[in-house]
Amino acid sequence: MATLAPGVKTGPYHAVLDHIHPEPTSFIRRYIFSIDAKVIGIQYMITGGLFFLIAGLLAEIIRAQLMSPTGAVVTPATYNAIYSMHGSAMVWMVIIPLVSGAFGNFVMPLQIGARDVAFPWLNLAAFWMFPVAGIILFSSFLVGAPDAGWTEYPPISLQGPPGTSLWCIAIFLVGVSSTLTGINFAVTMLKMRAPGMTFTRMPLFVWAQLATSPLLFVATTALGAALAALFIERTFGVPFYDPAHGGSPVLWQHMFWFYSHPAVYIMILPVFGIISEVLPTFSKKPIFGYKMVAFSTVSIALLGFTVWAHHMFTSGMVPWLQLPFMILTMLIAIPTGVKIFSWMATLWGGSIDWKTPMLFATAFLITFTCGGLTGFFLAAVPADYHEHGSYFVVAHFHYVLYGGSVMGLFAGFYYWWPKITGKMYNETLGQLHFWITFIAFNGTFMPMHWLGLMGMPRRVAIYDPQYTFWNQFASISSFILALSMLIFLYNMLIWTFRHGKPAGPNPWGGRTLEWMISSPPPYYNYKKIPAVLAAPYDFGNPLPYIGLDAAPGAVEATPTAESHPVPTH
Amino acid sequence: MAVSVAKQGYHLGHGEVDDHHDTVIYNETRDMRLLGFVLFLCADVILFSSFIFAYIYLRTTVSPVWPPIMDGKQLPRLDVAFACFNSVVLFGSGVTMHFAMEGWRHAKRGMFNLFMGLTIVLGAGFLAGQGYEYMHAKIGGWSGSIFGASFFTLTGMHGFHVFVGVCYLIVLWWQTSRSVYTTDRYFGLTAGTLYWHFVDVIWVALFFLFYLW
Repeated sequence: MATLAPGVKTGPYHAVLDHIHPEPTSFIRRYIFSIDAKVIGIQYMITGGLFFLIAGLLAEIIRAQLMSPTGAVVTPATYNAIYSMHGSAMVWMVIIPLVSGAFGNFVMPLQIGARDVAFPWLNLAAFWMFPVAGIILFSSFLVGAPDAGWTEYPPISLQGPPGTSLWCIAIFLVGVSSTLTGINFAVTMLKMRAPGMTFTRMPLFVWAQLATSPLLFVATTALGAALAALFIERTFGVPFYDPAHGGSPVLWQHMFWFYSHPAVYIMILPVFGIISEVLPTFSKKPIFGYKMVAFSTVSIALLGFTVWAHHMFTSGMVPWLQLPFMILTMLIAIPTGVKIFSWMATLWGGSIDWKTPMLFATAFLITFTCGGLTGFFLAAVPADYHEHGSYFVVAHFHYVLYGGSVMGLFAGFYYWWPKITGKMYNETLGQLHFWITFIAFNGTFMPMHWLGLMGMPRRVAIYDPQYTFWNQFASISSFILALSMLIFLYNMLIWTFRHGKPAGPNPWGGRTLEWMISSPPPYYNYKKIPAVLAAPYDFGNPLPYIGLDAAPGAVEATPTAESHPVPTH
Repeated sequence: MAVSVAKQGYHLGHGEVDDHHDTVIYNETRDMRLLGFVLFLCADVILFSSFIFAYIYLRTTVSPVWPPIMDGKQLPRLDVAFACFNSVVLFGSGVTMHFAMEGWRHAKRGMFNLFMGLTIVLGAGFLAGQGYEYMHAKIGGWSGSIFGASFFTLTGMHGFHVFVGVCYLIVLWWQTSRSVYTTDRYFGLTAGTLYWHFVDVIWVALFFLFYLW
């Protein structure tokens, strides 16, 4: 193949890579119905970001309500609808599309040296299901929003308002979108890597996406079945879940959690990938234990399918099943611990550059570990009997979802924003945003541990006056947390474009492939597909690529083919 | 995608345009599509498995007896004899599908057309048989009991897959008449065959679970 540097053999899948689509010229084909994975990634960011703001405002209504024990802001019925929609939107319309759809589409093809994903039209279709699903979900407010929590346990959800059926449709639709994205990404990563990029030379973000993609198309279809059954039971009275007609509400819990526990890993594994990129880059040090970080990602993904019933210890499950689910859940702490310690060892002795992405990544290590530790409490059956359904659970999953996924997403946004826009954001504003977020986040969710252990149940619109102080503390912190978003939005959307200096191809000294081309990347990504000679993290060694596009300033030193073994397939 | 790009003949100035290059692109694209299609079928297996899990769960842990009791009477079992006949029709269509592909691969258009037609007829026959069975199954209807719920939902979902499969085969047949495929480039036919056999295999599981268990 003429595109490769001399001395590098063509891999099995490179004639396809060799071709370049002509860039569309019309506005609609370029920015609205684009088949370019980078544009689709940005579309996911915009849509997911808008839904994040809406769902965040719902969260602030929750916190405003809890400012006083008598909750004067909304009625208890409305309150039920608001927390149900907040949870549903944050999980399905914000975090899952952002970690897989947004960063997966923008970064993953660049990192494997591909020009696009395997099925660009499928990608386009999968994206457009997502805003439609979001609109359906939020429009359920018009007919009576679902009010049984984001888990929608029957029989309450069977008696719920009409919006519950819209909820089923919306989540089913976004599930189809996730399934198609998962298939698309899996084929892309298995078949379209640059020549020489063996599995152990893939960037860790790609490893994370590879481990996530089967979760997307296996677990999500299981949820689709559960949602379809709920929908037909609500619409046609077909008995699956209603005990009055011979069904079983516990069946829903099994089917729901068989998806929703792996969904936890759908939301966190790609973020592990982001962290694995940010930490070595800003420590100027190879990632510690590359293979162990990669394999622990995969083992978390596999183990994630075996633990779902730990959500159901208090649901009247057979007692002898509780012990294996408790032990399997605790086993997940092993691969997760391998990752946490590998990341800490990456920081050890590095010359750390405290830029905003690095601050968020380091904060992730702290807050996510806190969330993981409380998860350990909840996995223990005796402790869970006390904590189940309390604010302790709320604290736990906000530490892993906000302190884990969202902190990691912020790290990813700051890290790749110069690549996406070609301009630098304001570092001072970024660090200000970080410190306010970090302090206000802990101020919001830390007291919920104590409230939960004191006995405050979750999903209540009014509460006992003894919980007032910490609720007010959490609410005020959450208002500050919301305001810190304004700094983020101003910095990323206004300051960067008005005043941002050109970023150049590689502002952070990163070594993965996306930093080897101009910012923003051209339509075709790589004029010539480079060949890969080693994993990307060996800081101090020459870059392990040959045949890079000429990009002044991007390339430290291009090694010759003679100085490295020729990759073979 | 790459095939259409190759058809446009759009290149960035390297790589030679010749028949061999075109073949390589076709093969790579076909392999990617095949993998994607197989992964899609995996996802579909999970969809069926979830409903099968629901059925097994309801039958073994929720209902005290099976078939369950509805309005004070135990429901009857399903008619195995007719289902056996209908299953033979569906499995027979899998065999004819195989011979249709053999015909295609050996450039025997007559054989292909004969067996493709037979496959479509047998598929439609299975659907008709299922309709007949639905009308005569005395298990209280779709919404009567958990028996009806799991039986009609699962076999209905399967029947919908057969219906989609029949439509798919008709489109493929029409495409062959328009010379979309050649004897060495026929990914659409491969995918159609895979889908058809997949639907067969799902029926094996459903037949065991509903009629023999």
